[in-house]
Amino acid sequence: MAPASVPGPAKPRPAVQRPNPTRLRFALGTGGIAALSALLTAIVAPPSATSPSSPVAIPVAQSTVTQQRPIQYVQLSAGEAPPPGATVIDAKAPKPITIVTTVPAPAQQPVVVRTTQSGTVVP
Amino acid sequence: MIGADRQIQTTRAPREVPPAPIVPVSVATTAMGGRLVVHLAATGEERCARHDAERALSRITRWADRLSRHLDTSELSTLNADPRAVLTVGPTLGIVLRAGLDAVDESGGLVDISMLDARLAAEGSADAPSPGAAPRDWSIALGPCRTAVVHRSPGVRFDLGGVAKGWLADRGLDLLSAWPSAVIDADGDLAVRCAPGQLWAVGLDDPRTDGATLAILHLSVPDGGQPVRWGVATSGTSVHRWRHGDRVHHHLIDPRTSAPAITDVVQATVVCGSALRAEVLAKTAVIAGSADGMARLERAGVQGAVILTEGGETLALPQTLALLAA
Repeated sequence: MAPASVPGPAKPRPAVQRPNPTRLRFALGTGGIAALSALLTAIVAPPSATSPSSPVAIPVAQSTVTQQRPIQYVQLSAGEAPPPGATVIDAKAPKPITIVTTVPAPAQQPVVVRTTQSGTVVP
Repeated sequence: MIGADRQIQTTRAPREVPPAPIVPVSVATTAMGGRLVVHLAATGEERCARHDAERALSRITRWADRLSRHLDTSELSTLNADPRAVLTVGPTLGIVLRAGLDAVDESGGLVDISMLDARLAAEGSADAPSPGAAPRDWSIALGPCRTAVVHRSPGVRFDLGGVAKGWLADRGLDLLSAWPSAVIDADGDLAVRCAPGQLWAVGLDDPRTDGATLAILHLSVPDGGQPVRWGVATSGTSVHRWRHGDRVHHHLIDPRTSAPAITDVVQATVVCGSALRAEVLAKTAVIAGSADGMARLERAGVQGAVILTEGGETLALPQTLALLAA
């Protein structure tokens, strides 16, 4: 019967060379703060599809009418209140794209054919 | 309101000298509580024109007498007095009721011929219906021998009003196909046909002053073309008005509230391909208000639109400039 082996005294292990964690922690912390700041900026800032108060020229056929219409709007999320004095447009309402022009008063000359509201007595 | 923050410059391109406006032969009568007039360009054929105009008026008047709610004997009054939910009507009333359904679609629901009770309430001759209290569902189907079958919820009664007048103008113009330049005036709703080289001057009534003109349209066709048809119609709140206590009501009912429309438009005139469509769109613009109304007219592709607002502004879609007299 073979004699049971007896472990000898443990050899001393060489000390493991670990990297200094301070620099990595500093880099990760700085990066995290930057990412968080970017996320906050993206959440808080409104979309800027059009810069406020920028005039928009709408071309019209034959260039008979031109229009300078300042567009000012903010996009509201659910539960947000509009700024004081702002006109709130229903998202489902027709978009205000209509161009209108004033009509000069005509010379008051007799016209035989007239369109009127119903019930109007035509002289 | 439109126009408060807009700067608009308008320039007109030089145009050719238009022909002189037609001086027509005109024959008039009354129908559906208003005027009914035929105008024909008939230089040298006045007698023949007068004869044809009178024949056309006779036929149009017979149609109108079936469609008027002002006549107790009209087919419309009979329908409104009948409590049945399903009943058969004649071809003429059937066609105009169907046109009323089309008007609901064309106007996005703002022109509804089943608002008679709300209209009577606005006049003060009936109690106001509660908004949404009773559904105003109704439909119409083809019946035998050109008749039509009306299916309706209890209590639905009809006021054909401008829809009937627009239809009468268009149908009346068909009767006068032998006259290349003719106008049917059905109480302000016009069906117009113009021959090449001729010009109809059409005055837009200014409701603020008796006999005054808000604008003048020139409807003409260049030489060498084919005759062209237009519809020109005007709707507004300043003629049919009633005072009840300290409140003033008008006759244009907003189906969303079953009450007279709250609007900044006093009067709207529309030019397009038919008098019926022009009438429906003009009424739509008044009920919708100036901003929404103009947008709707633009989307509808009208040939012209002029609106008078409560602030006294006269506004038009740009394409109207090509039709306005210089």
